[in-house]
Amino acid sequence: MTSYIIRRLLVAIPTLLVVLTLVFLLVRVAPGDPATAVLGQQASREAIENLRTKMGLDKPLWKQYFDYLTGLVHGDLGKSLISRRPVGSQVLHALPFTLQLTITGVLLGSLLGIPLGILTAVHRNAMLDYLGRIFSLAGLSIPAFYLGILLMMAFSIQLSLLPTVGGGEQGDIVDLLYHLVLPGLTLGLIMTAYVTRMTRSSILNILNQDYVSTARSKGLAERIVIYKHVLKNALVPILSVLGVYSIVLIGSSVMTEIVFSRPGLGKLMVMAMKQRDYLMLQSLLTVYAGLVVIINLFTDLSYGMVDPRVRYE
Amino acid sequence: MKGVSRNLYGVLFVVVTALLLVAPGLSAQEELAENQVLDVGVAASDLNTLDPHLAVGTQDRGAVDMVFNGLVRFKPGDMDPEKIEPDLAKSWEVSSDGLEWTFHLREGVMFHPFPGQPDGYEMTSEDVVYSIKRAANPETSAYSGSYDNVESVEAIDDYTVKLTLDKPVPSLLGLVSDYSGGFVVSKKAVESMGEDFTTHPVGTGPFAYENYVPGQKTVFTRNENYFRGEPVLQEVVWRYMPDISSRLSGLRTGELDLIEGLRKQAWIEQVKNYKGVEPVVFGPGETVTLHFNLTREPLKNIKVRKAIVYALDRATINNFYGEAITTPLYSPIPANYLGGLTKEEVMAEGLAYEQDLEKAEELLNEAGYEEGFELDVVITERESYKKTLVVAQEMLKKVGIKINIKQIDHSAYHSQIRDDVNPLVIYVCARFPTANSILTQFYHSASVVTKPTAITNFSHYGDVDADGNGTIDNVDKLIEIARTADDPDFQKALWGETQKEILSDVAAYPITTLGFSFAKKPSLEWGYDLNSTLALTPQIKWNTKLLAE
Repeated sequence: MTSYIIRRLLVAIPTLLVVLTLVFLLVRVAPGDPATAVLGQQASREAIENLRTKMGLDKPLWKQYFDYLTGLVHGDLGKSLISRRPVGSQVLHALPFTLQLTITGVLLGSLLGIPLGILTAVHRNAMLDYLGRIFSLAGLSIPAFYLGILLMMAFSIQLSLLPTVGGGEQGDIVDLLYHLVLPGLTLGLIMTAYVTRMTRSSILNILNQDYVSTARSKGLAERIVIYKHVLKNALVPILSVLGVYSIVLIGSSVMTEIVFSRPGLGKLMVMAMKQRDYLMLQSLLTVYAGLVVIINLFTDLSYGMVDPRVRYE
Repeated sequence: MKGVSRNLYGVLFVVVTALLLVAPGLSAQEELAENQVLDVGVAASDLNTLDPHLAVGTQDRGAVDMVFNGLVRFKPGDMDPEKIEPDLAKSWEVSSDGLEWTFHLREGVMFHPFPGQPDGYEMTSEDVVYSIKRAANPETSAYSGSYDNVESVEAIDDYTVKLTLDKPVPSLLGLVSDYSGGFVVSKKAVESMGEDFTTHPVGTGPFAYENYVPGQKTVFTRNENYFRGEPVLQEVVWRYMPDISSRLSGLRTGELDLIEGLRKQAWIEQVKNYKGVEPVVFGPGETVTLHFNLTREPLKNIKVRKAIVYALDRATINNFYGEAITTPLYSPIPANYLGGLTKEEVMAEGLAYEQDLEKAEELLNEAGYEEGFELDVVITERESYKKTLVVAQEMLKKVGIKINIKQIDHSAYHSQIRDDVNPLVIYVCARFPTANSILTQFYHSASVVTKPTAITNFSHYGDVDADGNGTIDNVDKLIEIARTADDPDFQKALWGETQKEILSDVAAYPITTLGFSFAKKPSLEWGYDLNSTLALTPQIKWNTKLLAE
């Protein structure tokens, strides 16, 4: 298994390199200019050209690319073109906020979504099923930022229970959790909708299998049929979907961070995009790509835990 | 004698009674909130830089305003350059030719503490000279262009600074004021801290940097040694919150005291209805102007440009922004800038171009465009820009002119208009409030966007024959003479003349001035009258306070 993990990580390197190259080119092809973002709109063309030289943007593209890669190999993500602060330390500061948020979303989604999916599948076409389906349809259609604002209106403005501003003080666990409730709930509810739907359909699919009829016909209790035969077999598709939707959730986390002013990667990224902070942007997108690779790896590894037929050679 | 003292007692009785009656009201009004921490939500994801000579973003300008002082300052809440008052300099003299300026510094002003100087140190002419040189250096300042005419700056003694110019500069005081490059930084702090200075600014202002949490907030704490007095607020927390709904929620839940709002009538109306929320609109506001590219067909023809402006209705465009935040603009320079023409002055010259569709059609016919024409225009997604173009598009349709709008993002828009792609350029800006700044940047031929010296002359005015009489129309000379004129009346007359030329050549069509929109808790008191400020956010001063609710 260790050799499998190592092999997967090695295979990830070219993937990341391709992503990095694409991103490197795309951000530079987009019109707009970081030097103007720094100097403001009153600056003369001359001053802007000078700053571009200072930023190294007048160098040939291949040279900029090579310099960036060299830095990367040495663990140096470079400095933000706009604020001149190291990108690496900014990313490290923001990453925990994004991870806390998405992990909360995934956990909440699995803890609520899987049982809800089982219930709606078992009680197919009953009231509970209809309610569950309406809930998951609503969750699928509602954008994260809108749900976030609705929750904010209810829990912060009307009930004055939870805060709306910021991510809490670093190092103060209670404060961090306090600030995590609403954004976590926002992503968690959306994830619950995805997971409920997926669990329901994969369980329904298995309920129609012959071996379920066999189990029933030999007189097993329905509870045992569901837990031992159905759920165990349904888990593999559920896990793979969980992986895919965790990645989707990272996308939703960007808007959630903006709405709740959480200092995560998403907030950094939106700002870097507006200012054409090439270095910041290419590093951030590479970090996102890295997260996707890691989530996929975890997903694949988790198959082995639920399905003994899966072997990592 | 007896009568006198009885009268005196009588008067005293009345005065004391009146005071007793008024006193409870007074003390209730003045009662301070226990918690003097001001939480401000600004519309940005993070700070860019708190180095005052590089800070151009709205989120940073208000913050550096609290940390630094200039030699002189605009009266708080009032950006009239004629009301500039002493700040770090207690007085100044100017030589008769306007070339030598001598500033006498206030003594005993201390810089905020910083690593290596736990008690701060006294600000002297050395820091002032260093700051002005730094502001004039394009490597260290975004405002260096304004200091081109500064020949030298030297310290005469610890408390005297002499500034020598190679030619007179209009409103020189603006260059050493609490605006852009005028802020005085601590020489020792800049030298010892290097790039850290951008997130740990060290100045002499009422609030000192305390800490910075990336992506979240910067905390400023009161400077107990502030030379005007100990600030009332204990802390000011600058929170970076790009989303308007979360800023508004924060204000409504009481987590925030002051937020940057939306420049929309509807938003202002909406927040008025919320308990404990008070909208704040102030100037100078940003001018919205439509610039014609005089090198493009068919806009080369003055008749076509006139037809366009006669087809437009300024009042309707203003209404689309909403009357709560707009002042219709009739001249290239707003009337509240030094040298700006008022509506009446423009009307008197017949240059207001009030809507007249018949005239517009007539002019189009004369120009040979009976069938109208099409123009492809790119525009940013920003409302303040886009709205004008979209409303104008509808109005121009009526006279057969079709505008094809392509929307791109803001940063891309700014780079494309500088590449001269647009036949029509909508530009929204606020500048130093004298006519010189806008006239130089938008109408001097050296500022034409295709030149190496380019700034923001999108119309190419000054390089082309704008009115079709066979000669090049150019206001460079007028701008230059006005710039160095010593007689203020003569200067204003020249500026007026320049604006009339621009309007009669229809190089640009002034539309509106948009105020800045914020919202605050009613318990927040500025400590001054807020009308307009170059800080772009309400200024937080030493006497700004939170009253008990």
